[in-house]
Amino acid sequence: MTTNPRRNLANRCNALKSTGPRSAAGKRTSSQNSRKHGLNTAPDFESSLEYRALVELIAEEGFSGFACADIAAGLLNYRRVMDAYYDTYTSPEPVDEFLRDVDVKASIPIFRELLSPSGSEPNDVREMASFFTSMQRQERRKGGPVSRRSADAHKLIRYQRNAIARLSRAVRQG
Amino acid sequence: MLYNVHFGIYVDVAMPVEDKSKSLLPFLSSPKLLPDESEAEFQSGLQSLLSELDNPSPLAVALVSQLNECLWWIRRHTVDKELLLHEAMARLLSREGSNWMGSGNSKLSVALEHYLNGSAYKDEVALIEEALIDANLTLSDLRAKAFKDAARHIKMVDDLIHRQHQTIRHLQRSIDSIDYKSRLIKRMDLELAALESKQSVKGALTLDDKSS
Repeated sequence: MTTNPRRNLANRCNALKSTGPRSAAGKRTSSQNSRKHGLNTAPDFESSLEYRALVELIAEEGFSGFACADIAAGLLNYRRVMDAYYDTYTSPEPVDEFLRDVDVKASIPIFRELLSPSGSEPNDVREMASFFTSMQRQERRKGGPVSRRSADAHKLIRYQRNAIARLSRAVRQG
Repeated sequence: MLYNVHFGIYVDVAMPVEDKSKSLLPFLSSPKLLPDESEAEFQSGLQSLLSELDNPSPLAVALVSQLNECLWWIRRHTVDKELLLHEAMARLLSREGSNWMGSGNSKLSVALEHYLNGSAYKDEVALIEEALIDANLTLSDLRAKAFKDAARHIKMVDDLIHRQHQTIRHLQRSIDSIDYKSRLIKRMDLELAALESKQSVKGALTLDDKSS
């Protein structure tokens, strides 16, 4: 991790020039960048060993075959959501302290120095400064780690609601 | 920094279930705890919930385990509400004192956290008091301002707590329905047994009449 603010700014300026991954493996990796929790994919519980074991055990409690299948799938789905909830809560997006704390106005001479080798116009420097200002505003708006994890966990509320409703329905109708 | 701590909540110790080998819990992922949380406390909460049920079935035990996890989440989110306020207080203090640059902000947050917990060193107390004077605020003013500043996130945490309450309600209803179902089955078994015994008595009586 770079601690020199000048180098950090230079790295970020260079990163902006990146055109993304070129290799197939790189593209495959970056295609998963926006994957958050995987709860939008349809799970295949029926083929798992846990599902079959649960169905057998629930059947011993006097539930019908259909009800056992529903309850087992409901339980596994609920656990899947709660595991994703825990993971989201414990690994929020890290705070970019450099971006949050950097004084953009004071960094303008550094931007000028970094952009001058390509014969940049003052407009480029202004654009770069305004870009950093807007990024900084976004970063500050997200708040600290607790705000971030609360906001991230909040996005999973609907998955929890659906999972528990499915489980509860299966148990009560069984 | 938070680390994932995995441990199995296989309720083996004094679990009031007829047959422990029939537990559903080994087939479900276990609720996880944060590093600073007590496993013993979690287990004792689960045991006390289970002790309230009269001979629970394996499915009821699995649902009670989920319910205990919900209670745990409510605790976590309640702590988060206070932490959010602290975060906003530190942010406001550093902003009012125009102290965004360098490591001032994180240093101030740590000092404020210690100050509010009553475990601050002398230099931390001095830093906070200086920052409060700079910002021309008292601690209660700062708290009030921070509450306004963090209102959006506090509302989110309230939603999270509400969601857990709703989940608990669903789980309670499910447990009640399992309990009712098992009672109903037991009652029907008893009635059937009573009918069978009545019939066998009647049969014996008619046989006696015929023979006499």
